[in-house]
Amino acid sequence: MSTIVEIQGLNKQFGRRKAVDDVNLTVESGEIFGLVGPNGAGKTTTMRMLVTLLKPDKGEIRVGGYSVRKAPRDVRRQIGFMPDFFGVYGDLTVYEYLDFFGACYTIPAAQRPGLIKDLLDLVDIGSRRDDMVDTLSRGLKQRLGLARVLIHDPNVLVLDEPASGLDPRARVEIRELLLEVAHLGKTIIFSSHILADVAELCTRVAIMEGGRLVAAGALDELTRQMVPHRLLRISLLKEVDAAHAQAVLAARPGVSAVRLQEGLGHADRLSLEADFIGEDAALHDLLQALLAQGLPVVQFSEDTQNLEEVFMRATRGIVS
Amino acid sequence: MEEPLTSPIPKKVLAPPNVFRRAAENPVILKELRGRMRGRRAFIVLTAYLVLLGLLVCTVYGFIAQQSSTSPSDPSTRQLAGKVVFSSVILFEFLLIGFIGPALTAGAITSEREHQTYDLLRTTLLSARSLVFGKLSSACMYLLLLILTAVPIEALAFLLGGIGLEELLVSGLMLVVDTLFFCALGLFCSSFTKRTLTATVTSYAIILLSVLVLGIATFLLVAFTSYYSSSGSSWSITFLTGTMWLMSATNPFSAAIVSEIFLIQDQALFLVKVPLSGQTLISTLYLPSPWILHVGLYLVLTALMVLISILFVRRPDR
Repeated sequence: MSTIVEIQGLNKQFGRRKAVDDVNLTVESGEIFGLVGPNGAGKTTTMRMLVTLLKPDKGEIRVGGYSVRKAPRDVRRQIGFMPDFFGVYGDLTVYEYLDFFGACYTIPAAQRPGLIKDLLDLVDIGSRRDDMVDTLSRGLKQRLGLARVLIHDPNVLVLDEPASGLDPRARVEIRELLLEVAHLGKTIIFSSHILADVAELCTRVAIMEGGRLVAAGALDELTRQMVPHRLLRISLLKEVDAAHAQAVLAARPGVSAVRLQEGLGHADRLSLEADFIGEDAALHDLLQALLAQGLPVVQFSEDTQNLEEVFMRATRGIVS
Repeated sequence: MEEPLTSPIPKKVLAPPNVFRRAAENPVILKELRGRMRGRRAFIVLTAYLVLLGLLVCTVYGFIAQQSSTSPSDPSTRQLAGKVVFSSVILFEFLLIGFIGPALTAGAITSEREHQTYDLLRTTLLSARSLVFGKLSSACMYLLLLILTAVPIEALAFLLGGIGLEELLVSGLMLVVDTLFFCALGLFCSSFTKRTLTATVTSYAIILLSVLVLGIATFLLVAFTSYYSSSGSSWSITFLTGTMWLMSATNPFSAAIVSEIFLIQDQALFLVKVPLSGQTLISTLYLPSPWILHVGLYLVLTALMVLISILFVRRPDR
C-alpha cells in the first residue's frame, strides 16, 4: 500500500486559540481511516485544510503527491468531501443535483446520465431520481451526499460525521455503503463521535484532543497499548450464587478483575464483567474451566467496545 | 470508394469561439435558471411586471390625449404620445433594473454560505470565475427576459410614431449595460459580506449614496457654472462644463434624457455641441453624447466589480 495522504507539522490558529497543533499523520491508499476526538479537538479544522477550504498556518498536506498549497485544484480532483452539515439545492431534482455537480467536476455531458444512474443504484435511491431534493429524508440526503462525492471517481473520500443525526437503521445503511465504497478501492477518511462505527469500519484511527494528535495507529495496536486487558461479558443462570461465581472466575489465570453488573440484561440471569489478559486459546480454556466447575454459562462474549476505553484513556476531556 | 465530402470552411472557423462554448458549459447558469424558472414565482413576477407596464402606458397615453389641444389622431399628437410612451417605458425599465438587479444577485454568494452549499462548490473543480460569471449571467438573463417581454409594449410607440431606430438601439444598449452593472453590484456586495441581508442593504446603500452624492455634486456644479459664467476663466468654465457633462453620464436617467434632448434638438447621436457660457476662448465644446460616456463608465465599473468579486471568491478561508 502506498501513502496517499501525508500531513506534516500541520498548525492552525484562530486568534489565540490553537485549533491544530503540530499534527503529523499519514493515510495509506485503500484504508478506512477514522478520526476521533471530543468536540473542538481539531478534527473538522484538519479536514478543512485537507480539502483546501482552509489555509494552514504552518506545515504541509499532500494528497496523491499534490500539495494543498501549491496545487489545490489537483488535490480537489483527488478528493470528495462531505461536511458534517451541508445544504442541498431544494429547487433541483435528485438527477439534476448530481448532474450539476458532475458538470462542476467537468465530467462530459454525454457521460453523466449513465454515471448518475450507476451512482443512484449504488446508494439505492434510484426510485427518487425525479423527486425534488428537499423532499428527501435526512438519511436519503446523506446517501445523496455520498453519491455526490463519488461522482468524479475520487481516490480519497473525506467525510465529516457521515452518520451524524441519522436513525439507527440509516446509520447501519451508511456504514454498509461505506464498506461497499471501500471495496471499490477508495481511501476513506472520516470523523465520527459514534465509536461503534469507527471500531466497526476503520483499519486505522487517530485520536485528537485540544488540537493535538494523542494517539494513532491500527485499532488492535492501540487497544493493546492502552487497554491491555480484554473485556469479557459472561451471563449465568440466576440459580447460581453470585459471590461463588465471582470467586470461581477471579481465581482463573488471566482474569484480573470481576464485576457484577446489577440491573443489566435479562432479569433471570446473572451478568458478570471480567478483565482478561490472554490470547484466544486461553479464552477457550477459561470457558471450558467455568463449565467444568458447573457454572451455568448462557453467554460468553468479548466486548469489542474497546475503542471507547482507548478513547477515554487517550483523552483527558480537554475541550478547546 | 469516394472521398467523404469535406467542408471548404476550416474547422477552426466552424467551431464556436471558446468563450461561448465555455459559457454554454457553465453548470451554474443552467442550475440557476432551473431554480429561477421553476414553479409559479417567475411567471407571477413577469405577469405583474407586464400588467404594471401596461397600466403605465395606458395612463401616459390617456394623459397626453387628454391634455393635447388637438385630436388624439392628429399626427403631431400621436408622435408626441409615441415619444412619451416610449420614454416612460424605458425609464420604468431603468427603475426596474435598478431595484431588481441587486436583489437578484445580492444573495448569489451569501445564500450559498447560508444554505451551507458553498463549501460543496469550493471543493469541486468549479473555478471562482465560472461561479461568478454563472451567477451574473443567470441573473442578467432573467432581467433581460423581463425587458424583452416589454418589446411588444414598446412597439406601440412605433405605431404612434415619433421614435427612430437610433433611439431604440441606444436605449436597448443602455438597458443591457445597466442590467450588467446593477447585477454586478449586487454580486460584488455578496462576494465580500457574510449575509444576504447585509449584501442587499449594502447594494442599495451604494445606489442611494451615489444618487444623492452625485445629485448634490451636479447641483453644485450647475451653481458654480452659472456663477463663473460671467467672471470665471475660460479654463474653469470649460472644466466645469465638462465635469457636469460627465456627471450627467453617471445616472441612466440623466444620460438618457440629456442624450434624447440633443438628439431631438440637433439630431446628434454620437457627438454633441455644448455651448459654453461666459467669456471663453471657444464658444462650443464637442463632447461624446452622454449615453456613450454612460455605457463606457458602467462597463468599466462592471468589469472592475466582477474582477474583484472573483478575487474575493477565490481566496480560501484564513
